[in-house]
Amino acid sequence: MSTGDVLQIKNLGHSYGKFKVIEDISLSIGKGEMSALIGPNGAGKTTFYNAISGKFPPTRGKVFLNGNDITGLPSYRVVDKGMCRSFQITNIFNDLSVIENVFSPLIIQQNKHFKLYGNIFNDQQINEKAMQTLEQVGLTDRADQVVANLAYGDKRLVEMAIVLAREPSVVLLDEPTAGMNPEETENMINLIKKLAKNSGTTFFITEHDMKVVFSLAEKIYVLHQGHLLACGNPQEIRANEQVQEAYLGRKVHA
Amino acid sequence: MIVLKIKYHTLILTGILVTLLFLSPLVIPVYWVILLSEILIMGLMAVSFNLLLGYAGLLSFGQGAFFGLGAYTAALMLQAGYENLFLIFLAGILVAMLAALIVGFFSVRLDEIFFAMITLAFGMMFFSIAHNWRDVTGGSDGLPVFNLPNLQLFGLDLTFYSPISMYYLIFTTVLIALFLLWLVVHSPFGLILKATRENKQRVSFVGGNVRKLRIVAFTISGAFTGLAGVLFCLFNNMATPEFMHWSFSTKPIIMAIIGGTGSFFGPLFGAGIFFVLEQIIIRYTENWMFFLGIILVPVVLFFPQGVFGTLQNRFFKQRSK
Repeated sequence: MSTGDVLQIKNLGHSYGKFKVIEDISLSIGKGEMSALIGPNGAGKTTFYNAISGKFPPTRGKVFLNGNDITGLPSYRVVDKGMCRSFQITNIFNDLSVIENVFSPLIIQQNKHFKLYGNIFNDQQINEKAMQTLEQVGLTDRADQVVANLAYGDKRLVEMAIVLAREPSVVLLDEPTAGMNPEETENMINLIKKLAKNSGTTFFITEHDMKVVFSLAEKIYVLHQGHLLACGNPQEIRANEQVQEAYLGRKVHA
Repeated sequence: MIVLKIKYHTLILTGILVTLLFLSPLVIPVYWVILLSEILIMGLMAVSFNLLLGYAGLLSFGQGAFFGLGAYTAALMLQAGYENLFLIFLAGILVAMLAALIVGFFSVRLDEIFFAMITLAFGMMFFSIAHNWRDVTGGSDGLPVFNLPNLQLFGLDLTFYSPISMYYLIFTTVLIALFLLWLVVHSPFGLILKATRENKQRVSFVGGNVRKLRIVAFTISGAFTGLAGVLFCLFNNMATPEFMHWSFSTKPIIMAIIGGTGSFFGPLFGAGIFFVLEQIIIRYTENWMFFLGIILVPVVLFFPQGVFGTLQNRFFKQRSK
């Protein structure tokens, strides 16, 4: 399946002052792969995500996206290069309608965000693209509702639509099922599976919920105290004693 | 179905309002025509200001600087004998725009109170220059304007010495300016600007350069505020440093809040309410600011969307809440 690596991370490290949050992380993710990053709270998952997605530049190491060095680029440049992310805490435009939420990335993608005239609702191309994206996540019937009025699960879907709108080659999902009830979680897992299958997009997710991780990921990376402890397919990770000791043993009953 | 969401009532109401404003000098006393002129100028300033507060979520406390720059540019050019009104308008806008670009460049990386304070600081710097550079600005006396040039338009030679003709100059200019601002607010840029107000991190993480977006908004706002300043100089025959004082910068804030920051025309109505109330209250007492305070408190407490915004939501519910 894999035709070269889309995301390559080399010796990545980040420190807050003298405290090394993550250290010497190297990994390569192939095109279309579905991988997950797991680790106990405080292992550095979010710091890792922030450092590669442009929230802040990493202290050490390199990040390559589709062969381009994106180390330390600001977030909006990282998105231009083809990587888009979601956040643990839903990050959307609350007072805008669902479709306006999806318009935003599309307007920027088509470089129309400094266009000072014309109504976006009359832009056929962007409207079609926005509706397609909403169809992918199943929100077409709520297109003109104000996002603030939606149920929590639907708000997460709006964020998913925002992330997918620009058809990024790599999608980072930071705990996509956080705070969801079992039914919503189930739906989200199926949605991610469907998207990965249909679009060939590379997904890289972090997740607390082991059930989610093992039902989604083809490859799992385990982060422990800022270091990569192990990586492998779900069976290998389940069988890995170090991992069990560090993490799984306390969370999952084999 | 979404495309059909063009709000017909807004169109009709705007049409009625424009017609009323156009015809009113024929029926109302001259004193009120002058007041209406001032309302329109300050209304333009308030709507330009609201591009920042209402749409970008940025509270600028330095708008007076751009208003003053427009006014001083006009006054200096008129004193120097420039006769072309278009040139004067253009110069006033450009000077204010350039200043806004520079102030914006340093200010927009900040948010909320920090943004308010840095714009206030820049505003007071401009005030100090206007106040102390006597040779150019006339210091605290300001710069008087004695002659208003005529305007040659479509073969007509228009003069602006009567309050009514001045009103029509202001009315036409403000109408064009408001139309342009209306286009901006409803453009793709306007939507992204609202998105930065809602969540600037998310804009940045879908590829938008928030800082650049805000600088553009700040510059546009400054340009139209400068235009309002030019108009006020022509109307008032005077540019004074008071325009640049922070207390003058609070006027568009108060107007926007009274009228409502959530709608395009809110601040314009706020300006109307502000001046009409002032006129009424000042007949009975000198302490009009005290009563302004008495009016502002319940507006902020009970009408967070402003008077116009609340009425609009009550009668023309646009979105299910």
